[in-house]
Amino acid sequence: MRKLKDNLLKSLIYLSAFITVGILVWILGYVFSNGIGLINWNFISNEYNEKTSYVEVKITNTPLSINQESLNEKAFYNQKVDKPLSDAIYSEKLGIAVMEVEHSLRGKKENQFIVAYIENGSEAGEALDKSGKKIGINLGDVITKIDGEALEGKDLKDLNAIVSGSNESLVKITKPGYGVLTNIVTTLYMIILSLSIAAPIGILAAIYLVEYAKPGKLVNVIRFATESLSGIPSIIFGLFGMAFFVVFLKFNLSLLSGALTISIILLPVIIRSTEEALKSVPDAYREASYGLGATKLQTISKIIIPSAIPGILVAVILSIGRIVGESAALLLTAGTVAKIPESLFASGSTLTVQAYYVAKEEANIQMACAIGIVVIVLIIVLNILAKLISKIFNKANY
Amino acid sequence: MADKIKFIIKDLDLYYDTFQALKKVNIEIKENKVTAFIGPSGCGKSTLLRCLNRMNDLIDNVKIEGAVTLDEIDIYGDIDVINLRTKVGMVFQKPNPFPMTVYDNIAYGPRCQGIKDKKKLDEIVERSIVQSALWDEVKDRLNKSALGLSGGQQQRLCIARAIAMEPEVILMDEPTSALDPIATAKIEELMETLKKKYTIVIVTHSMQQAARISDDTAFFLSGEVIESGKTIGIFTNPRDKRTEDYITGRFG
Ligand SMILES: Nc1ncnc2c1ncn2[C@@H]1O[C@H](COP(=O)(O)OP(=O)(O)O)[C@@H](O)[C@H]1O
Ligand SMILES: [Mg+2]
Repeated sequence: MRKLKDNLLKSLIYLSAFITVGILVWILGYVFSNGIGLINWNFISNEYNEKTSYVEVKITNTPLSINQESLNEKAFYNQKVDKPLSDAIYSEKLGIAVMEVEHSLRGKKENQFIVAYIENGSEAGEALDKSGKKIGINLGDVITKIDGEALEGKDLKDLNAIVSGSNESLVKITKPGYGVLTNIVTTLYMIILSLSIAAPIGILAAIYLVEYAKPGKLVNVIRFATESLSGIPSIIFGLFGMAFFVVFLKFNLSLLSGALTISIILLPVIIRSTEEALKSVPDAYREASYGLGATKLQTISKIIIPSAIPGILVAVILSIGRIVGESAALLLTAGTVAKIPESLFASGSTLTVQAYYVAKEEANIQMACAIGIVVIVLIIVLNILAKLISKIFNKANY
Repeated sequence: MADKIKFIIKDLDLYYDTFQALKKVNIEIKENKVTAFIGPSGCGKSTLLRCLNRMNDLIDNVKIEGAVTLDEIDIYGDIDVINLRTKVGMVFQKPNPFPMTVYDNIAYGPRCQGIKDKKKLDEIVERSIVQSALWDEVKDRLNKSALGLSGGQQQRLCIARAIAMEPEVILMDEPTSALDPIATAKIEELMETLKKKYTIVIVTHSMQQAARISDDTAFFLSGEVIESGKTIGIFTNPRDKRTEDYITGRFG
């Protein structure tokens, strides 16, 4: 009888563990199997929208350093969506090789001329647009016109002849879109901005709570507030951010509104973990410092904060994870514009918001999953980093 | 020759919140002597020691009545606590070097006083380490973490760190209770040389240690000083029955 009960309990425990792990593996498997097809360097390095511009390339007359055979071998194209239709043809004047490919994007097929090779010494990578901004020609860029002549329908053999400029050549290029660089950059902006607001405030507040505040009502209220704040779902903060930052302060859907909202979400996390870090600094250090005639400020800045740094760093890294993972609050405050924001007041979508957007508005599950993979990898890297840091510092200290 | 008096403690009462930890304490501490506080644990030795450099200020809800004077100046009057602590250094029960290099540990106090000159700091560091009989052991590892030293070395480092401030008094709260006998012997030896320059007050619960190293002794029992005076007198001819019971090991 007893044995039966034991076994029953045991199988329940195993079952629960199995279900948990199983579901996790299943979800990850789903995301990966759907999204992995899109993941390649272009996906990471392309912006979401394709971008066409005229650039001026200095003519360098750089000879090809390899033979045609290895050029064809080395020629760059995206195997998943491009089918080569020609050899790669090299132009000494520009120092690049161009290849015609059949490009298929979600069922649509199109012939394109893409940059398949860039020779060392070519100035193509430094190309500027008319306003002097560096655009640069990169592998995979689509070339539509050279010195006013459209490439379409041309025989590539005399690519050199098309280049009519003598010092400079005006090339119309289209940088392929459909990537997440935009969202990666926006996410980075969001991380930097939110942390530079929340980290100093949170850390100083924690220092106040641990080192200055006399235990009593006020401290209890602050503690209660931070604890409750950390339990509130982020959509509520999003609603507040929308009402206050976006509408009332007229910051609009923007990087700034998003970052301020995220900062409020982060504050409790940062305060709590910094408090823990400060509290774990042994009182013996404080006593030793005061015993040597150090002031409170000296003790805090020279002894306590340095000893608490690993804990604070871990808090910051976990906050970064939180920013990367946040979507509901940002959807309402930073908007969904898939463009790298040019100012604090411009809208921009982070990776997770973009995943929501492409899944919901474009029904593009594949891309959403691909973004999911990028996010998952980012979070895993951040967590490993946090573990590593606390390990390294723990070793250094004891 | 009458010895010069460094501290005079007069009718000192100390309360932790409502608990009275010191009751009408009256003692004098002589300059360039070693004064030992002995007594069973919890009797208020550390509490009194920490009154001498106002470390009790760091604890909330401590109430102090009575007077403590250092060179006839009331240290609970209108004085600069920071300045007091540079004059009255402290060594704790457990060695507590900062998690920094040996050099930075010693230079910490002087740096807090605004000394930045590298040459001067070098000089202070070397002199303090030499004085605390640690030079040969750490001269090659001044720039290594102090936490890598042995317990006894760490404690001597803490003494060096206190000496670096050129204090007049060094307070030691059971400085050898966490150390092995060899390290303890080294520290006792060190105190012998230090007392020529500094006034030393040491809390100890080893009667042998008090007898070996101190000139004067005060015996505490539940917050009261039962008896104080020359160590020889207390150990050979105690006036109070309770002192006798304690030093003969009947309790404590
Ligand atoms: N911070 C404090 N708050 C409350 N009571 C304390 C505090 N520190 C010490 N005490 C109490 O004061 C009494 C004397 O303590 P202490 O001076 O540390 O004794 P000793 O050093 O002689 O062992 C003890 O009963 C102890 O519990
Ligand atoms: Mg004690």
